[in-house]
Amino acid sequence: MTSLFADYDPGTFFDEMFEGEHATRAHYQAVETSMGQMSPPDYSQRQRTADSAFIRQGVTFTVYGDKEGTERIFPFDLMPRIIPRREWERVEMGLIQRITALNHFLHDIYHGQKIVHDGVVPLELVESASHYRPEFRGVDVPHDIYIHICGTDLVRDKDGEYYVLEDNGRCPSGASYMLENRNAMKRVFPDLLQSLRVRPVDAYGTMLRETLAHLAPRGMVDPVIVVLTPGIYNSAYFEHCYLAKQMGVPIVEGRDLIVRNDRVYMRTTRGLEQVNVIYRRIDDDFLDPLVFRKDSVLGVPGLVSAYQKGNVALANSIGTGVADDKAMYALVPKMIEYYLDQDPILPNVPTYLGIDPKECSYILDHLGELVVKAVNESGGYGMLMGPMATKEERAQFAERIKANPRNYVAQPVLSLSRHPVFVDDHFEGRHIDLRPYVLSGDRVRVVPGGLTRVALKKGSLVVNSSQGGGSKDTWVLWDDVHGGEDMTTPIS
Amino acid sequence: MLSRVADSIYWMARYVERAENLSRLLLSTQDLLLDAGSEGSDSSEFWGPILSTTGDFEKYSELFPRVTGKSVIDFLTAHPSNPNSIANCVRAARENARTIRDQISDELWECVNGMRLYVESVSTSRHQGVAFFERILRGSYEFQGIAASTTPRGESWHFLRVGTCLERADQMSRLLDTCSALSMEMPPHPDSKPLRWAALLRSCSSWHAFQVHSARLDPSKVVEYLLLKEEFPRSIACCVTEVHRALLTLSNHDHFDDIPEHIRLAGRLRADLAYTKIEEIIEAGLHDYIDDLQTRLIDIGKAIFEAYVLYADLTPVAEDTVADMPPPTAWHMGRESELEIQQQQQQ
Repeated sequence: MTSLFADYDPGTFFDEMFEGEHATRAHYQAVETSMGQMSPPDYSQRQRTADSAFIRQGVTFTVYGDKEGTERIFPFDLMPRIIPRREWERVEMGLIQRITALNHFLHDIYHGQKIVHDGVVPLELVESASHYRPEFRGVDVPHDIYIHICGTDLVRDKDGEYYVLEDNGRCPSGASYMLENRNAMKRVFPDLLQSLRVRPVDAYGTMLRETLAHLAPRGMVDPVIVVLTPGIYNSAYFEHCYLAKQMGVPIVEGRDLIVRNDRVYMRTTRGLEQVNVIYRRIDDDFLDPLVFRKDSVLGVPGLVSAYQKGNVALANSIGTGVADDKAMYALVPKMIEYYLDQDPILPNVPTYLGIDPKECSYILDHLGELVVKAVNESGGYGMLMGPMATKEERAQFAERIKANPRNYVAQPVLSLSRHPVFVDDHFEGRHIDLRPYVLSGDRVRVVPGGLTRVALKKGSLVVNSSQGGGSKDTWVLWDDVHGGEDMTTPIS
Repeated sequence: MLSRVADSIYWMARYVERAENLSRLLLSTQDLLLDAGSEGSDSSEFWGPILSTTGDFEKYSELFPRVTGKSVIDFLTAHPSNPNSIANCVRAARENARTIRDQISDELWECVNGMRLYVESVSTSRHQGVAFFERILRGSYEFQGIAASTTPRGESWHFLRVGTCLERADQMSRLLDTCSALSMEMPPHPDSKPLRWAALLRSCSSWHAFQVHSARLDPSKVVEYLLLKEEFPRSIACCVTEVHRALLTLSNHDHFDDIPEHIRLAGRLRADLAYTKIEEIIEAGLHDYIDDLQTRLIDIGKAIFEAYVLYADLTPVAEDTVADMPPPTAWHMGRESELEIQQQQQQ
């Protein structure tokens, strides 16, 4: 019987599973053997089992721009992405280093701004960042931690090196899919999970709760923690609910909260109950209509004042967006050197800044070979994929860049690594990235693995769920298979 | 518990119960029609009262010129502009469940979500089939069973039961009212309508229980059974008793001073039902009695809302001038307007 992978073409990309034509990387051999020997109908059957479980359980996201509020499942590919131990350990160290520097940076920016005075980060870049909140200068936050939950996007280039693509330090989403994907795999491939010694991810809820509890006033044994959601029509509502349930804390909407005397209360059947920590999944802009957007009905009037007085903790803090601005991103390696006196473990993707006149003209001259991104957009919006864009699209984008150079950065098109994905009745390579979740509490912890996102459209490099992306379970192994980072043992 | 969560649990339960009652009513009416030859063959005579039962006669007449079985069923099962159609009740139950899925068991959520997936998956024509009603009934029974076996006996449980029982009492009163104009005579009296009374019993799952309880299909006994007999779980007396007990537990109220309004109303109705004789009701007129009963059920619902959902506003936490928002409530049709507001960019 021929293997399901027999006709698989790794192409010229860095393939996570294969090195060269048919040399399987050691840590994928068990999966190749067990999945490879399945018949296409059998494999499809298991895929359907997983999909229908997601539908039944309502593991869905809301499609925007649709009046009906249609809910879809986030496409899930059964074939797991596997990371051997030592490779993961390096990624983990790099992530911890990076979040540590970012939290130093935010504290500095909202206090003395030493890094600006020392000429490492230009003041203009800070002040023009749209998520910079100057009104928070001088406000102390618990333990000086600003980003408690970070979802850092990593990609691998054709050399297999991990690069940081962006730091999501405002309200990163996707952790629930990481957890649900694992649950699905447990039901569909229990034996495989057991035989490979995969590190569990289900402690995430507990870790998140501990991270949040750490923000409560000192000495408080059992703080009241809530998850603040925009509501059921938000695309990530399932996740908000899911995480609240994992932590065993209430999920609240803005209208459930009320501020009295600079303290935050929730409206309960027994009257008002004070809230100590809010894991908010609402952007800064919508948090408090008295301070930010006046038209916001999602927020809580008076919340910001309560926060400034230290009567309630927020995760993440307000104003963290200045650190995940795509232009600021380019300077993170310098921040690591500046604050930690270390070399960055995980490199950045080379980035050209529109704000720098020389780099801007380089961008404009090389639009056809660059990815251009608006600095404040996320979710795959506001992007130009140079090589794939039409002439008109490039011309339009050039005008936008010239009109507002600060708002754009550009990067070379990476040849993202690929991974086998099941298509109809066989495997094809698709580009992937990785979003690990980094939690900063009394210490920094990274859940082993994270959410592997897949660009399901053939040839596409965009992995966002809003743009036709899907996901995979990510298996970090307790062991290295056949030792070493270079695990390319050909099948004998 | 959050006030909004309490309100949503309460309404989730009410909408499930409403969908169940409507399904059973339509099923039993279809059955009745098959037997109806001997009691008159004008089907509008049967379908008209059903519209009055659900209180949607006006809305119906705006949409349809005549009362026919097909259009009434269409209106009550899945018509988009009838907020109380079975399909819309299931949707509303599910949206409420969705806002509180962190508070209910996964099994209960999957049950309600499954009902909604079913409703969305069948075509309009199949909405009218027996299989559709039976699936909704089964869904509701599942809901009751899962709720009973997975809900901790705290606030969630009591609000769920209050919602279920108040809705059941309300639906039951409407069902009884469809028969309030019928003669109380038994065969062989020419005015007797045994098939209608039998259909009434079937439409509230009490045919068999009543047979055991009473040897003859005496209309006044039927009314007494469904209205006043606490032993039968769908009787109004039984529902009101459970509402009253749940409210007492919720408020920890065990004395006769400073009785909160919602407990006073529920307790008083419970006592009335316990100490009223069926002969008194029939003499005063069943329809008028039911009218009054419905008003009282509505008042209990309002008082519960005021006590538990508006309550937070009434608790004094010193004076402050911060602007307030309206109290947070459950999901009902029309909440879709919030769709765009909540859809911000995600990272």
